[in-house]
Amino acid sequence: MQFGTDLASRARAAPALAVEALSYAYPDATAPALSDVSLELAPGELVVLAGRSASGKSTLLRAACGLVPHFHGGEIEGRVEVAGLDALASGPGELASAVGYLAQDPETQVVSTTVAAEIELPLEMRGEPPSARARAVEEVALALAIPHLLGRTADTLSGGELQRVALAAVLVTRPQLVLLDEPTSQLDPVAGDELIWLLRRLNEEWGVTILLAEHRLERCLAAADRVVAMDGGAIAFDGPPRDFLGWAQEADVALETPAARLFSLCGIEPLPVGVRDARQTLAGRGKAGTPLTQLFPKEGGPRSPRGGFGKSTSRSEDARPPSNEALLVHDLWVELDAGEGPRDILRGIDLALHRGERVALMGRNGAGKSTLLRSIAGLVAPVRGKVELADGVALLTQNPGDYLVRERVRDELPGEAGAAALRAVGLEHAHDADPRDLSGGERQRLALAIALAGRMEGEGLPALVALDEPTRGMDRARKDELVSLVATLADCGAAVLVATHDVEFAATFAERVVLLGEGVVIADGPAPEILSGGWYFATEVARVLDIPGVVTPDQGAAALRQSADFVVWDQIAPQTTKSREGNGEGR
Amino acid sequence: MRSPFAYTPRRGPLQSASPGAAVAYLGAFAVVAFAYSSPVVLLAAGVGLVIAGRLAGAGAAVRAALRMGLTLALLIVAVNALVVDRGETVLARLGEWPLLGQINVTAEALAAGAAIGLRAAVVMVAFAVYSACVDPDRVLRALRPLAGRSALTATLVSRLVPVAAADAARLRDAARLRGPGAAPVGRAPLARRLLAGSLDRAVDVAATLELRGYSLAPRRPHPPAAATFFRWKPMKKRCDRVGGWGRSGGRAGVRRRSRYDRRFYAVGAILLAAAIAGKALGADAFSEYPTVAVGLGPATLALSALLLLAGFAPFRRSPVPRVAHPTPRSQTASNSLPARGGI
Repeated sequence: MQFGTDLASRARAAPALAVEALSYAYPDATAPALSDVSLELAPGELVVLAGRSASGKSTLLRAACGLVPHFHGGEIEGRVEVAGLDALASGPGELASAVGYLAQDPETQVVSTTVAAEIELPLEMRGEPPSARARAVEEVALALAIPHLLGRTADTLSGGELQRVALAAVLVTRPQLVLLDEPTSQLDPVAGDELIWLLRRLNEEWGVTILLAEHRLERCLAAADRVVAMDGGAIAFDGPPRDFLGWAQEADVALETPAARLFSLCGIEPLPVGVRDARQTLAGRGKAGTPLTQLFPKEGGPRSPRGGFGKSTSRSEDARPPSNEALLVHDLWVELDAGEGPRDILRGIDLALHRGERVALMGRNGAGKSTLLRSIAGLVAPVRGKVELADGVALLTQNPGDYLVRERVRDELPGEAGAAALRAVGLEHAHDADPRDLSGGERQRLALAIALAGRMEGEGLPALVALDEPTRGMDRARKDELVSLVATLADCGAAVLVATHDVEFAATFAERVVLLGEGVVIADGPAPEILSGGWYFATEVARVLDIPGVVTPDQGAAALRQSADFVVWDQIAPQTTKSREGNGEGR
Repeated sequence: MRSPFAYTPRRGPLQSASPGAAVAYLGAFAVVAFAYSSPVVLLAAGVGLVIAGRLAGAGAAVRAALRMGLTLALLIVAVNALVVDRGETVLARLGEWPLLGQINVTAEALAAGAAIGLRAAVVMVAFAVYSACVDPDRVLRALRPLAGRSALTATLVSRLVPVAAADAARLRDAARLRGPGAAPVGRAPLARRLLAGSLDRAVDVAATLELRGYSLAPRRPHPPAAATFFRWKPMKKRCDRVGGWGRSGGRAGVRRRSRYDRRFYAVGAILLAAAIAGKALGADAFSEYPTVAVGLGPATLALSALLLLAGFAPFRRSPVPRVAHPTPRSQTASNSLPARGGI
């Protein structure tokens, strides 16, 4: 390609991104979104941008691609330079030849009808000849494994496919800097892992500099060269991934990865940046010559004081009285037409849920999770089979904002039924608030209250409360709030069914996991068993320890402590973790 | 649920054709529908379009357009019968109506309404086939050099329509999922919420277009380096035709021409010429009042036959191998059967 030769020569001497003393406030905002941010990315680096929700990650990415301030307006101070171009003087269009930006929602990032035209558009805007466009489209499609999508229209793609197409449109111009804002938030664990390693490959083979904002750090730390953590619009940490984990251990445990948490609980050093790293460290601490996986028996695993890890922590289905059933799905077949002719989305699903049960519904993108929830709620008519509900269902779909149509909470939920629903989700204090003034987690709870209102008998709940992908874009703290809410709902007698891609979240809240594949239930069992029995649908702790039934850091730490053959660091050198140098001082 | 009118990529001749060729072909039917009143010609145009749509794989779009078109036609027939009291064959006397006065339903008014309704239905089917078979990206790309801002607006609208439709479907679902104790959601709050959401969506889509470089000044394609030095024009033509330098195919950027273009341009041109000639030769012989008279002269019948035949233009012949490879029967036989006198 011939474009960008000037940029290339300039970029040889310039960092991929240089931000200096950047402060920014959105129009009419009461507080700045960015405060005195200074950051430099060398060409070819892969940097992970960590931080809680609203810490300024997305705003920093928007400033780096020129959308802030050119598109969003607001007040800005400081300097942003991208590949030698002054981002505050150049608009996003001019910067687009040097920087590509992928936002959270792929739905609004596709502007053409067909996939091929979408990927080709940026090249066409730059006046590339048809031959160069054809070759670039073909190559980027091959790189992202989407050549089979080129002839399809955008409105027939799943969220994960749309995300890849949007990424292809970003990469097709071969920008020097790629900015990604939670690109895995809508992807299943398989596609999420594939995307991260694809980015690493592009980074290594094409030399692309990557700045990746992500909440699920366990997915991407192993691929990162550096981590930048943001807090309140400022940079709180900037350093290598291992140092970041040490910093997070002391500054913000919500940013710790599960494997690092496991090591922290056991007092093992150094903290691992990935599964391989963790396994190597643990293998070195086992009995000489004993592989880690042989330290524990495959069946059952070590036992905790509260019960066996390898056993189900849920009440088994057989132990429940038949009358306790909240949901019974029998031989459910659902056929949908996404534009390519009718297709069976669900194929003979059989499922029974009991009151008080907490169940995670998992599976790849397009496996049929949302369709199953929609069928249960009566939004989709089955072609065969039946759904029996003991006492109603409340379904919260993927976008809680769809439930909020009025300007006051009290207008959404009037009367005693509304007040009872607000109490059920812990939002009674927000009766007079504007829904837009609530936090993301509160808006989600409000939407759930709207779905629950009038379906409760007194303070009771419907037989089934279902949530579809409730953790998209959530940080760890908000997920913990959601876990508490799910526990409360289950304690009040509702069966809670949550469709999710987030295995760590599922391990925290669920006692049972139902795994769908191509519209069929391929696994159904206790969460510790399902989430430790595979590779993709397994937690990071399960992948590190490979002990049946051990899926959370707490379980893993207990398991490690109980192994007589295993040398746990804090048994021989307690509290030595504080002696590390450099952690928290990475900048 | 996807709209039946949404474009669906297929490998058929009509989908492969350039937008100009498809517009010339389908536009010729629409021109006939607008220019003619003869029910015979209109019916032939409608049947021709239905055949074309079915052959192009747009059966769902044709069915949906027929449903809508025939409903509209019935409405037009009813309204025409009530408001027009011309014609000699009175079928019903409905007495004095407020505002409308004396209502007499005549067979001629019904026939006139049917002709107008048929015309509307034919035009709707033509647009339905166009919508389902012609890639809007290619249309916008063709329009961009002529009217950049209009093409940008059209791009935004064409993207926002399906996004807004998806948003509306989600909002409707959420409204259905509200508990009985929550405030009911009428159409007005839902529409307000959809409008507010659409504005947010429009901002996001506009930001994406900005990032894709839509605001950059229009640039001419870079000429291939070798072409500027050596045989520029012929090589450029070759580049556009076959997809460029060093490549003989590809799925993007190179779909500029189709081997079916000539067929559709030719059929469109023949239809237009025949329509003009037919007008001159009295093929549009139809009068509603005072009594219905439908001409069935040779010109009318010839034009109708041509319209029916034109409907087969999107037909694709199944490939037949031109070179037959002989089956090595003798070899097979000799392998499987023992030779006479053998073993």
